Order: sequence, then C-alpha cells, then structure tokens
Amino acid sequence: MMDVVTLIWLYILGLVRWLLHEAPAQVINFIMSLPTLIPELLKWLWDFIWFNFKPLLQIIVIPGLAFILLFAMIAVWFERKFLARAMLRIGPYYCGKRSGWLQVIADFLKLFFKEFVVPDDAEKALFLAAPVLLPTIPALAITLIPFDSNWVLFDAGGLSLPVFLAIAGLSPVIPIFAGWAANNKYTIIGSFRTAYLYVSGEIPLVICAAASALLAGSLDLVDIVEAQRPIWFAIPQFIGFLIFFIGLILEAERTPFDVPTAETELVIGWRTEFSGILFGFTMMAEYVSFLGWTLLFIVLYLGGYLGPSLFGVPLYDHIFWMLLKLAVIVVIIVLIRTVYPRLRLDQTLRLGWNYLMPLSILNLLMTLILKWGLMV
Amino acid sequence: MSEPEIKPEVMRISWGPQHPMSGQTRILIDVDGEVVRRIIADIGFTHRGIEKILENRTFIQGIVPIERMVMADTANIALGYVQAVEEALGIEVPERAKWIRSLICEMGRINSHLYAFGLQVECTGYFPAVFLWTTVDREVLLDLFEKLTGARWSYSFFIPGGVRADLPEGFRDEVRRAVRYLRRRFQDYWDAMVENPLFEMRNRGVGVLSREDAIRLGATGPVLRGSGVDMDVRKDEPYAAYGDLDFKVITEKEGDCLARLKVRFHEIEQSLNIMEQIADEIPGGPVRTKVPLFPRSKPGVEALSRVETARGELGVHIFTDGGLKPYRVKINSPTLRNMYVFERLAELGRVLVADLPVILYSIDPWYLDCDR
Repeated sequence: MMDVVTLIWLYILGLVRWLLHEAPAQVINFIMSLPTLIPELLKWLWDFIWFNFKPLLQIIVIPGLAFILLFAMIAVWFERKFLARAMLRIGPYYCGKRSGWLQVIADFLKLFFKEFVVPDDAEKALFLAAPVLLPTIPALAITLIPFDSNWVLFDAGGLSLPVFLAIAGLSPVIPIFAGWAANNKYTIIGSFRTAYLYVSGEIPLVICAAASALLAGSLDLVDIVEAQRPIWFAIPQFIGFLIFFIGLILEAERTPFDVPTAETELVIGWRTEFSGILFGFTMMAEYVSFLGWTLLFIVLYLGGYLGPSLFGVPLYDHIFWMLLKLAVIVVIIVLIRTVYPRLRLDQTLRLGWNYLMPLSILNLLMTLILKWGLMV
Repeated sequence: MSEPEIKPEVMRISWGPQHPMSGQTRILIDVDGEVVRRIIADIGFTHRGIEKILENRTFIQGIVPIERMVMADTANIALGYVQAVEEALGIEVPERAKWIRSLICEMGRINSHLYAFGLQVECTGYFPAVFLWTTVDREVLLDLFEKLTGARWSYSFFIPGGVRADLPEGFRDEVRRAVRYLRRRFQDYWDAMVENPLFEMRNRGVGVLSREDAIRLGATGPVLRGSGVDMDVRKDEPYAAYGDLDFKVITEKEGDCLARLKVRFHEIEQSLNIMEQIADEIPGGPVRTKVPLFPRSKPGVEALSRVETARGELGVHIFTDGGLKPYRVKINSPTLRNMYVFERLAELGRVLVADLPVILYSIDPWYLDCDR
C-alpha cells in the first residue's frame, strides 16, 4: 500500500503540471469563445424568463420571498410604531427619519452580523437546523394560497386545503425540537407548552376549515373562494369565523396566547438560547406563520381575492383586495396586543378544549344541516 | 447560600438574576412540569450592610444611606429613621413640619404604589404599556418633589427636628392640580386594566393567602390588608400628622393577587385625599427646631419607631452609647417579612410557573429593602 504522504505529493505534482501545461490553453480557449458564448447565454436567460415569467414572478414577488420578507418588515415596523403610541412613546425615531422605517433593516443587519452562540450542551445539528426550518415550513404552506383565480404558485388542485393544513400542521414540531435541542430548562418548558397549545388550537381550526370546505363542496381553495361569490362565508359560518380568528391568533402565538414564548415567565420560552441571526429567523418565523394562517382565514371566510360588492355591483377580483383584507386583519390583531394580557397555559387549554372544540363541532353539524337543506 | 436538596421528580430553576422579571435577586424554584413545588428566596443576595454603615455615621449622616433601602419610597423609610433618632435624642418637632412630612410620605407612597401597580400589570403579560403609563404619570409627583425638596429621588428632606425647608409659594395649588390629574388617570387604569376580564382571570384566585395564614406568617402592608386584616400603623399608632387626618384603611377579603392590587389602588386614592386635606388644612408655624449638627446622645437609650411604608410596617430600633453615632441600628423591613410569605405560598396553594411573577410582584418586593 502506498504511503499517504507520497500520495499527497503525487496529487500536488499533478496539479502543478496541469497548471503549467494545460490550464493556460484552456483559459485562453474559454476567453476566446466568450464573444459567442455571452449572447447565447443571454438568449437562454431571456427565453427562460419569457417562458417562465409568471412562475418566476410568483416565486420572487407574490406570494414568494419578497412578499413574505416585506410583510415581516412592515408588520414589525407597524407593530413597533403602533405599540409605542399605546405606551406613550414615539418608537423608532432616528433610523429613517421620524417614521423609523429603516430601523427594521438596521436591526436585521445587526442580527445578521452578530456572532451567534451555540450552547455546549446543545444538539448542534438540530439546534442550527431549527431556525432555518422554522420560517420555511409556513412559507411552503403560503405557496398554496390563491391570490387570484389563476394566481396560485403551487396548484395542488382539489387537495390544496388538506395539503395546506398538513404542511402548517408540521410547523409546531420544530419549536419542540428546537427547545429540546437547546438543552436549557426554560426552553424545555417552552417547547412542552408549544406542544400543548398547538394540540388544543389546531383541532378546532381544522374542523372549522372542514366545515367551510363542506359548504363550498370542494377542498380546492380556489373553488372555496369562488363559492363565496354570493356571500362571504363569514356570515353563514359565523361561529366558524370567530373560532378560526381565535385559533389563528393561537397558532401564530400572539398575545393573548403567546404562552410558549411568555417573556415574563420563561425568558422567551423555546427561543431563549437562540442569538444573532438564529434569533432573527425565529422572529421572522413568527410573522411568516402569522401571515400563512391569516391568508387562509381570508380565503376561507372573507372571500379571498373577491372584491366587495358596491350597491349590488361586485367589484373586480384582484390581488389588491387580498392585500387590503390582510392589512385590516393584521391591524386588528396588533390592536389586540395592546389591550389584553397573556392567558395562562391551563386557561388557554380550557378555552381550546371546553369552548372552541365543541363549538367547532356544532358549527360542522350546522353546516351539514344547511348543506342538506340546500340540496333538498 | 447553601442550596437545599432537590427531590428526583422536580427540576430546579435559578429564577433570576438573569430572568427578565426577577429583578436583582435570585430565587430558586423547584418545578414539576408547570407546577411550582417549592420556592426558595435567596435572601441576602443583595446585602449591602446598611445597618453596619449606620453605625459608622453620625445621626444626621445616617439619613442618606438609609434612604438607599427603597428608592421608590425614600420618604417613608427616612421618616422611620428620623423619628427613631428624635425619640432617642428627645427632639420635639413643630406641627407644620409633621404635616409636611405626611404630605411627602403620601406622595412617596403613591410613587411606590404606581411602580408596583405597573409591574404587576406587566407581569400578567401586557406589553409594557401600563408600566410606562405609570412611569409617565409618576413624573407629576417627581416634579412636585423637585419643587419642594430640590431632588426628584432620594431627597433627604427629613432631618431630626423637622424638615429642611418650608413649602414653596403656590405649592398647595400645584398639589391640588396634581391630585386632580392623577384621579383622572386612575379612572383610566381602573377601566382599562382592573376591569379587563382577561386581567381578572390572571389575578383572581392566584396566590391566595388566607387571613389566618397572613397573621401566622407575619405578612405586612398591602399583603396583610389584602387578606382582610385591618392593620395600618398610620391608624393604630398615629405618627406625623396622621392623627389629625381623615382616611380609611383599605382591606379586601379575598387575599389573592387581585385583592392586593385593589388594596394598592384604593390606597392611592386615599393618599390623594390625604394630599388634598393637607393642602387645605396645613397649620402655620416654623418647620424645624434648632438641632446641633452633631447631636450627642445620652448613653443607654433605646428608641423604636414604627412607620407604615408603601410595602408595610417598617421598624427602626436605635441603641445609643452616648457617642455621636448610634451604637446599633436594627431595621425590621417589610419586604423581608413578605418574602417569607412568598416562599410559603407554594406550600399553601397551587402555584404555576406562569403565576410566579404575578405573585412575586403582588407582594411588591424590593430586594434591597429585604436584604438591607
């Protein structure tokens, strides 16, 4: 068997020979062929963009990366500025003049370039993977949302609602892993709280979504929106509408249900050990998950992209309506944060199992009767 | 502190000093899931030796270090010490000075209760809106302090024999104006927070301390009155001008966190009434008697003064040996007694991890007061 050192020397020698004898010719050839290569490349790129214009636009702009990032930034900015007013403060003031709009970007840059600490006792791989997976999973679910009748990034057809719920249902697993991987007492309590909370919140949510699908007669989100042309489901499904609204706040872990990350109790729950950009990702994940559930809420109950009818004349369907509804819901949910304290875990669970669950089943039964009445 | 042993089924968490809500102390909790099985307060964590420092200061120099015990409530603490010194040295205080002392004490009490109120509300998970409201409204009182004493915090205004200065011109009108403003704001607090159903859910039936337990464990101040015991040094053993003033002792029967919050809230209203009465009825006359800068004590005199501070009863016990300095000053601080009650609460009832900050701030701890 050959000596390892000899082997390495052979490799180095081979490399040197290649550099001296063959590399110059290859580089020169490449440079000579550039004038013909560049137009070809550009043409290929142009064709690619031309034929894939719409999917690319969807991936990059709506509902893609730009939209999610922009939503997170605007939501954070609005929340900080708005809550500051409620607290008799001014809020971010110096970055980006009086409105403080640059502060979000400045904070992101700060988090990005900050050293992050991985605890000695942590499960390193899981600990590092969790913050990346956290925003990704709800972002995947957002691809299923119809922003217009033919503006769906990932068209799962008649399965889009179950697929959405399945993907979104995966997201609470990550905080549990993250809390466990960080190996800290606060994170472990926080991750178990997450597990309890999601079980009590998600089941009523799924039952309500099922009732909505039943009323529309389809599991396709586009069909559900189209079925709301006569009347938005918020009215015939009023109980479901309220339950879904509460469940959405619960799923997004926002006040009054921010039990797993309760700052005054558990430092910041399962996020305690994350620092630097890892923490930034967990913060973003909160807003992405919030965005996903709010969009589903709008699709199921508020007529998605359908315009409101003005004096009996329905307005044009447009993405604009979707964004307007999103803005209204976000403002309402941020308002809630200023006026309500946090519920305890047992109170949240009681709300979920004792009230939301039976009411959502009642809602399902009522929908069945309504549907049966319509068919007869 | 030697740490007690841990049972195998529980997890011990060092709750503080790195915890957002713990303040500058360390509390060990044994948790079994969400349930707190045992609370161990690390008393002495912030020990500063104020009692020892007082032995090395002359009687008047001692006012400054003893005020550092509770910064939010310096007037009441300093009054306890100053009254003890007056008793030990046999100094008489003019009537007007007593009324000014009562005025400042009540302002200090409001200041401290506002802080406690804001913190307890914040502990229930409000975004710190209310805490900042109380901080902003405190400014009204701090401005009054500044006009009267020259300092916003730790004013060292009380001296043996009276107070340092008379009320400035127009001060009584400003007191009335401040009282009107604060009354309006407290109505807002009541409507927005105390009557908020979710806030009530978080506080009602949490950290219940029965009347018997409160007496047995030696609770004091709003904690004791929240459990239905009618006890207030201002009424029972009137000092300063409290004998001539008309106010009620607030009690609540429930003994939970909400009851303690309500006691504080209504006590603020009573304090505002007292402030108004003093502004209307304060008698004239001198504000201090002549006392030498370094008064010499008689040997072997003991003096005890009891004062109702915002956190409860403060006792200052002075021994003299005939020198320029006290031989020994023993301070019985209210937070120490309430922290003992807080430790026992996990045995008396079911305490959850989520309730821990609410209960802790419902007893209104001031760790420097506790450890001195």
